[in-house]
Order: sequence, then C-alpha cells, then structure tokens
Amino acid sequence: MDLFFAQLPQQLINGLTLGAVYALIALGYSMVYGILQLLNFAHGDVYMVGAFIGYGVTVALIPESGPITSSALILALMLLAAMLGCGLLGVAIEQFAYRPLRNSPRIAPLISALGVSFFIQNAVQLTLTAQYRTYPTDQLIAPSMGFELGPARLSATRALVIVVAILLMVALQYLVRRTSLGRAMRAVAIDREAAAMMGVNIDRVIVATFFIGSALAGAAGVLTGVVFTRIWHFMGFNAGLKGFTSAVIGGIGNVPGAMLGGFLLGIIESFAVGYISSTYKDVIAFVALVIVLLVRPRGLLGARIAQKV
Amino acid sequence: MSQSKIGTDEWVRQYQKRRGKPAGMAGVVQRVWLLLPTWAWLALLVAAGLLFPLTTDNTYIIRVGGTIALMATLGLGLNVVVGYAGLLDLGYVAFYGIGGYAYAYLSSEFTTVHWPTWLSLIVITVLAALFGLLLGSPSLRLIGDYLAIVTLGFGQIFVQLTTSLTRVNLPGIEKPLNLTGGPNGIVNLDPVHLFGFSAQSVKDYYYVLFIVLIVVLVVVYHLNYSRIGRAWRALREDELAAETMGMPTRRLKLMAFAIGAAIAGLSGALFAAWQGAVFPSNFDITLLITLYAIIVLGGLGSLPGVLIASVIMIAVPELLRDVRFAGLLFYAGAVLTLYATLKPRWQILPLLALLALFGLIVTFLVMAATPGASALLSPPGSPVGIWIPLPANSSDAGNLAFFASIVMVLFVTRVKKHRWRFIALIPTLYLLAFAWETRMSQEPSITRLMFVGVLLVVLMIYRPNGLLGQRRVEVV
Repeated sequence: MDLFFAQLPQQLINGLTLGAVYALIALGYSMVYGILQLLNFAHGDVYMVGAFIGYGVTVALIPESGPITSSALILALMLLAAMLGCGLLGVAIEQFAYRPLRNSPRIAPLISALGVSFFIQNAVQLTLTAQYRTYPTDQLIAPSMGFELGPARLSATRALVIVVAILLMVALQYLVRRTSLGRAMRAVAIDREAAAMMGVNIDRVIVATFFIGSALAGAAGVLTGVVFTRIWHFMGFNAGLKGFTSAVIGGIGNVPGAMLGGFLLGIIESFAVGYISSTYKDVIAFVALVIVLLVRPRGLLGARIAQKV
Repeated sequence: MSQSKIGTDEWVRQYQKRRGKPAGMAGVVQRVWLLLPTWAWLALLVAAGLLFPLTTDNTYIIRVGGTIALMATLGLGLNVVVGYAGLLDLGYVAFYGIGGYAYAYLSSEFTTVHWPTWLSLIVITVLAALFGLLLGSPSLRLIGDYLAIVTLGFGQIFVQLTTSLTRVNLPGIEKPLNLTGGPNGIVNLDPVHLFGFSAQSVKDYYYVLFIVLIVVLVVVYHLNYSRIGRAWRALREDELAAETMGMPTRRLKLMAFAIGAAIAGLSGALFAAWQGAVFPSNFDITLLITLYAIIVLGGLGSLPGVLIASVIMIAVPELLRDVRFAGLLFYAGAVLTLYATLKPRWQILPLLALLALFGLIVTFLVMAATPGASALLSPPGSPVGIWIPLPANSSDAGNLAFFASIVMVLFVTRVKKHRWRFIALIPTLYLLAFAWETRMSQEPSITRLMFVGVLLVVLMIYRPNGLLGQRRVEVV
C-alpha cells in the first residue's frame, strides 16, 4: 500500500499527459458526432497526419549540426502547421466523403469513413514507408528541465503538453460558449432543421466543426510526438479508438464530457500500466468503457434524451 | 412465392410488389436473376463450384478459389448481423479468431489434445455462438453507434490478448503459462479429417470450404425467408415500430449476433485447419474492412451480392499481383471511369488524344532540357513506353506526384465550369499515371489496400445500397 501512495503522484502526472492527448482527440470525435451523429473513423488518421506534419517541420527547421536558436518558435510552428494542415484535411474529408452522404442510410457514411481511414493510412505508408520516425524532442527541450514535485517529477515536456492541451481546451470552450459560431454549433447539434430555419448556415457550421476538431487532433498528434517521440503510420487507429472511448465515457456530443473522459481514460490507463501491467492497459480501458456504458448508457455527462416518436 | 405459407399473410406475400424496382445495371441483373428459379441458380453455383478445380492444376488458382469460398462464408455470417438485423458489429473478426484458436486448442500438440474434426467443428460452432451471446447481451443494451465502438474494442482486445498472453501467472501453478503462443501463434494443427476423408491438398480444402459455403448459404437463405428473417428486417428498418408490434427485439438481436458468431467461428476453425496454424495477425482490422467491403459492395442483405462481391474483392487484388497486369487494369479502370463520368461521352476521345499529346510534349521537353536523357524513359514493356520520363530519384518525384494528383483529383471534381474541368483533367491524369508508374506500381500490396479504401468511399457516394442492394421503400 505504501508503494501505491509513493507512486501515485507520478502516475497521476503520466495519466494527465496521456489524458491530455486523448481529450484533444476525443473533442473532435465528440463535436462531429454531436452535429452529424457520425462516427468519424478517419479522425484517428487525421491525428496521425498531424504527428507527421509536426515531424516534417522539425526535419525542415532543425539544422543537422549546431545549436537550435529558438526551440519555442519551432514548437509553435510545429503546432500551427499541424493544426492548419489537419484542419484542411478534415474539411476535405467532410467535403468529399461525408457531405454527399448526409441524407443516406446511417451505415453509408460509416463505411465511407472506414474507407477514408484505410486510404489515408495506406497513402502515408506508400509515400513515407512503414518506418517508425522519432521526434527530436531532446534537442528541443533539454531532458534535464522540469519540476521536482516531492516524490514525483514533472518534466518540461510533459508540462508543456498538459499546458498546451488545457489552453486549447479553454479556447474551445470559449468558442463554443461565447461566440456566435459556437452558438450556431450548439443550435445545429440540438436540431439541425430548426437551426437552418432560424438562418444558421448549416454547411458552414459543419465545415467549421470539422476544421476545429481536426485541428485539435493535429495538435494532439504533435504533442504525442513531442512527449512519446515515436510515430508511425498506424498510430491513428489505436489512438482513434481511445479518443472515441474517451468521448463515449464522457458522454458523446458533450464538449466538457470529452475532456473529462479523456483525462479519466488517460489516468486509468497509466494506473493500469503502473500498477498492473502494460500488456493489459487496452483491456482495462475497454472494460472501463463497458462498465461506464452499463451504468450510464449515455456516458458520464451525457444528457438523457427522450426519444421522439 | 405464389401461395401463402404458414406464418405469412396476404400482406407479407405481396411485399415484393411494394418494393422499388432497381434501375440501370441492377435492374438488368435482377431481370436475369428472375429468369431462373432460385434453386436453379443454386444448382448452377454448386455445379460451377464443384467443377472449378477440375479445370486447372494450378494450386495457386485453387487456393484463391478456397479463399473466395471462405470469405463468402464469413460475408454471409456478417450479412446476417449487419444486413438483416442492422446491428453494426465491428468485432465480428474476433469470433472468427475465437473459432481459429479454439480449433488450435482442440487439435494440436500445443495442448496435446486431438479431437476428431467433426466434434471440434460442432463444439467450436456452439462455443462461438455462446461467445456471441456473451458479448451481445451487455452490448445490445447500447444504442446504435455505441454498439459499434464496443464491438470494435472487443475485436482489438482479442488481437492484443492473443498477442500478449504468453506468460500468464495463474494461482496454483508455478510456471507462467503460455496461453496463445504470442505473435508466433500456434502451429502444426491437425488437418481436417471428416467421415474417413482426410483433407491434405489445397484441392481437398477447397471442396471442404465450398461445401460449407453452400450449407451456410442454404441455411441463411431459409432464415431470411422465415418469420425470424422478416422480424430482423422489421427491426432493421424501425426498431421502435417492431417493438410496438410485439416483436421480442432483444432476443432477435441476440439471435442474429449468435448466428453470425457461429458462422464466423466455424469459418475460423476451417481456416485454422487449412493454414495449419493461427496467428494474431490473421484476425486484424484489414480483414474486417475487407469483409465490410464485401457485404457493402454486394448490397446489404443480398445473398448473391455477397457471393459476387467476394469474388470481386478477392480475385481482383490477386490479379493485381502481377505488376504488368495491374498496370493494364489501372489504365483500363481510369479510362472506364472517364467514360462513365464524362458527359457527353464522345469527349473521351479528344481527351485521350490531348493527354497523349501532353505526355509526348513533356517527354520532348525533358529530353531537350537534359542531354543524354533517353535513359530516363520508362523501361521497355511498360505500357506507357516513351510517354512518361522517369527521373533518377523517381520515388521522391513519385511521392510528390502522388500527393499532387490526390489534390488535383479532388480539385477536378469540384470545378463547375465544364471546359475548365476538361482542361484540368489532362495534367491530373498525367500526374496520376506518373505516380502510378513511379510509386503505386512499386508497392502493389499497399496500393491495393488504398484502392479498397477509395472503392468504399466512391461506392458509398454513387451506390449507397451496393451492387444488388434494395432501396428501402417507405410504405405509409
């Protein structure tokens, strides 16, 4: 038991880092689902593309030898490039794969999403090969930097990831709660047709949702690369699954729910790694999902919606 | 279906008349389909399937035939769950895996158990059905898409557990147990041995798989036209209405789940016996996507659709293995697509002529710009000949061309003005051909999967009901 408490702060830090990434992925899933009731299976692959864009920026900007002049600038550029690139990718996916299917039977966009996911994965494998790539994080942020918090250590990389993720979430929350675009998004989520009749431009709201959600996934990709360093073309599948699990745990379609679910899942997983075994972390995450769904079928913060007949 | 059967009333008997008549290609197919009664088609299929191995001695071709039969059987099972009952089960492959691993446990040195095949097949089928019930009963409390995610998670967990359960400490046993063989799987499984017939060659397994396919086909066909089948369709179309009419929706869903799982388990056992081994990687997401592509391409709920689509989905990628043939298919496919989408259709002739001219000009410019560039020309035997100059570092250029061509293709579909689209098509097609020659044809296995992805998207956009799927008709 003593060992448990001795490790607890460190495990919490690890969990928050992982959870920050999951939460960012979950937000995109959840927003898209809230507005279109669509499982965007390609979301995980958008995240993977984001990680590769960030990697491309480091390759382009970090000199082969010699000191790096401004690592903060490079990190900011990585994030911006990945967010912009992924946002555009998300909008393109929406335009070409989902928009023509908006009035089709429910299964059609799902299959289309599977197709897009498969296409992106294999296109990346075709052009960039199946090799693992490694982020040069140590060159950007010295591994010795960090904070000693009693028995635990919060390295600067992890602190950066958590802070950036929380900043992005606060910005998103502001956008959804306080701007007219956010109001339009909430209106479309509640009732698309009624919103259209009230003069909301549905298409524009959907495009904006895809852009924002995918940009967050791109940021998550870069943050993953920065903190866990290893990226490859298939990383999106598992991460997408985890992001979706987080969204469902928190209550899909619910923005704070997605954040809560992400952090919760991250903490559960790192506890599983720390106290049980890293082999079973996915099993434990999955069991957590099933338990939450059995107790609260709409997720932790999901509202119970009366079915209209 | 001329007379009422027990359990069908007047309304049910006439339901065919209330359905929409498929138009175009599907209409032609349906008229051909109606030329012969269903049993005659089945007899034709059986005859063709049994005679097929006699036409060739090439084991490779027979192996492909066996794979088609296996995939079709799996597709039929998935079709029951997704096509009939409308449950989006993304963990289906796990039941296939359970069947495979169960067979490995029951007939190999790994557990030193060697059951007779007939017994293991029965036990495995029942076992898989029970697993279906086990996963189904909590999952079916979930609504729609939640089911999809939970089952997808289940499928992933299955692969991970089979990969990692190699050192399990159980209470009471000192040594850690190796339960699944990890990534190296379980090898040296007993072959199928049924009724004094022992399957040894590829041909034997082809017959086993084909006979199982026919049995499953007949069972599923009759299920579809039974009360249960109609109840499933009612459930798929409107769960609330079905429940209001007194259908036991929960039990119906569980039944669909269990039947699908049983078929998957049986196929998994046969697959394991055929391969003589099971590995976790046999049961990954690629197979799931292929299966979904099969049932969606065929048209959800359509049995002939599943058969035709599994032939297409398995045989076409096999044809693509030969690079030269793949190239031919790629260009033929591009030309056919252009023919189908360009309006008026004759425009394809000037387009191809201009494209050829464009390529020749590019070649000429490259030759003029770089002395001694004749070495850059495509290798002899390539169908594009002198039309595409290949630079020295062709794979980098190919990757660029690949990305550029994706962007261009997407852009072309968005150009409204007809004339501009026509002009934009020329460089787009050239880039595509360049990307094909430099990159895509070099990595056939990746390209193949990529095309499966594109196929799924395009199919959903142009024929969301698949080749032979029937449109839902609202009867109000």
